[in-house]
Amino acid sequence: MSALSNRRSDTGLIRSKRRASWRGPQIGPHLTIVLLLLLSMLPVYLMLVVSFKNPLQYQHERWFVSFPLRLGNYGAAWSIVSGYVWNTLWVAIVGFAGVLILSVIGGYVFARMRFPFREPLYFMILALLTVPWVISFIPSYMLYNSFGLLNTPWSLIIPNIANGPVMGIFMLRSFFAGIPEEIYDSARIDGASHWGLIWRITMPLSLPILATLGVLNFVSTWNSFLWPLVAISKEEYQQISVGLFLLSKEISISGDYSVWGPLFAGYTIASLPLVILFFMFGKLYVEGLIESGLKV
Amino acid sequence: MTSRDLSARGIGGADELAATEWGDEKGVRATLRAMRRSWQAYALLFPIFALLIVFVYYPPILGLVRAFYEWAPLRPARFVGFENFVNYFIYPESGREIANVLKLTYMGFVTGVIAPFVMAELIFSIRETVSKEIYRFAIVIPMLVPGVVYTLLWQHIFDPNLGPINSFLRGVGLNHFARNWLGDPATALYAIIAVGFPWVSGIGTLVFLGGLAQISESVFDACLIDGCTGLRRIWQVDIPLVLGQVRFLTILSVIGSLTTFERVMILTRGGPGYATSVPGLRMYERAFVTGEFGYASAIGLLLFAFALFLLFVINRLLRPHTEEISH
Repeated sequence: MSALSNRRSDTGLIRSKRRASWRGPQIGPHLTIVLLLLLSMLPVYLMLVVSFKNPLQYQHERWFVSFPLRLGNYGAAWSIVSGYVWNTLWVAIVGFAGVLILSVIGGYVFARMRFPFREPLYFMILALLTVPWVISFIPSYMLYNSFGLLNTPWSLIIPNIANGPVMGIFMLRSFFAGIPEEIYDSARIDGASHWGLIWRITMPLSLPILATLGVLNFVSTWNSFLWPLVAISKEEYQQISVGLFLLSKEISISGDYSVWGPLFAGYTIASLPLVILFFMFGKLYVEGLIESGLKV
Repeated sequence: MTSRDLSARGIGGADELAATEWGDEKGVRATLRAMRRSWQAYALLFPIFALLIVFVYYPPILGLVRAFYEWAPLRPARFVGFENFVNYFIYPESGREIANVLKLTYMGFVTGVIAPFVMAELIFSIRETVSKEIYRFAIVIPMLVPGVVYTLLWQHIFDPNLGPINSFLRGVGLNHFARNWLGDPATALYAIIAVGFPWVSGIGTLVFLGGLAQISESVFDACLIDGCTGLRRIWQVDIPLVLGQVRFLTILSVIGSLTTFERVMILTRGGPGYATSVPGLRMYERAFVTGEFGYASAIGLLLFAFALFLLFVINRLLRPHTEEISH
């Protein structure tokens, strides 16, 4: 009896202790978090505020929204960056189509087929995740140069298609391995070949992870900077990040204040595809971001 | 994230591979027969490996070899032994560049691991689920700006005449503190490190939040019974249990700040003078400004070797107790 009451009082103690720690409005942590988040958003805030200003407004009131909003900045910016936006979208879409096809095939082969040297071959792909890119930068340039691919969209699409499946196969293999064998069995009885199993069974069952792979691929293409900077010098194939970098350099050299509004509108336009993807995919977008860190 | 793990590597396949006994003639023949039977697998993998061999495996090998050559487009390469490496080390600014990149690398640990961990613990401590979700959402917002644009926005923040930092300092009467942050050799490197301040809005915070959410409630209960709360709990329970995430983010930020020169390139291009120059930028300039591709390959090789060394050290130092919770 005494033991029982003892135990009861024990749990009671824990509960009350926990309740004590679970009470209270936590003002300190909330305030700290909000302050840190506000500081983090400062660049984004500046980008949006300045993108709606005309030169006069920029000179007189730089830090707060000033009315009327100058929407014309966006038109002016679009006429400059629309080419970059389409170029980058084109590279991202064609590149991802290739990455998707090769990754699904590779993921399927490594997950669902049995053949000699499967693990060594898989290891050869996986090991590439740990090879820092820096050693390939200069020789890749020379390689694309000797193939005559520099200054063509192929110099951006091919690296995407060749490198993308490394991450793709890594992500898809374990996912494909988790699909129940019964589904494949019944399809095999219906006479499906490997090709049919890949595109009619595996792919439709893995749409979320394929979306994650797509987000990862798109974000990395959209953000790529150093490679397009050296691989493309023709204005007509320029990518968005490099295009905006060169534009901002030109503007800061010229010292012309009147174009800050349109420049920042251009920055905002460059962010829109990522915003749209985030609102479309939400959690998958975040997963894609995290996965992208796996490649050093 | 844990379900998609390297551990999935061993699914099936052990039985027929076990038949591959090397040195046994029967085994070799059986393997060849098995290979012939599974020709479809090799056929499906062929395009992947063809692209990998030409565009992914070949460049690093080429770089490794050409680091010992004098190399430029449209000219035959000439073997020069260790000359490129020697030239880099006797070049008067190399010491400074190495010091700079080391500073960036260890500050990368602060900005890429410590700051996100603190933020994740703060958000994790919030009990209300609604505000927790809002905070998690708000963390992603700055990541929706392309990396280059984000850096360019910071360039504007540091701007000596138009930027908010100097305007603020002048506004509150601290005129003598206002300076050309990126143009002053004394502050330029620190300004580059400060980009992204307070460094909480990156994938780091999300990775740590994911890791903390995976710690089972019973661990925290047991912890509470032992009277282990607050900072002591974070130190003795949370950190050991998110060591896998710590390792992942350490590798990411340390190798990233060692090899990438994107920010330096955009913000200062190594200037003023050589105050913010790093080996990666030197590699870029040697190749694309002066056309010394062999020299540039040598710098690339040095960075690569150092990155692999750090990768090895980090993997040694930060080994999680259970591979389960690692990524």
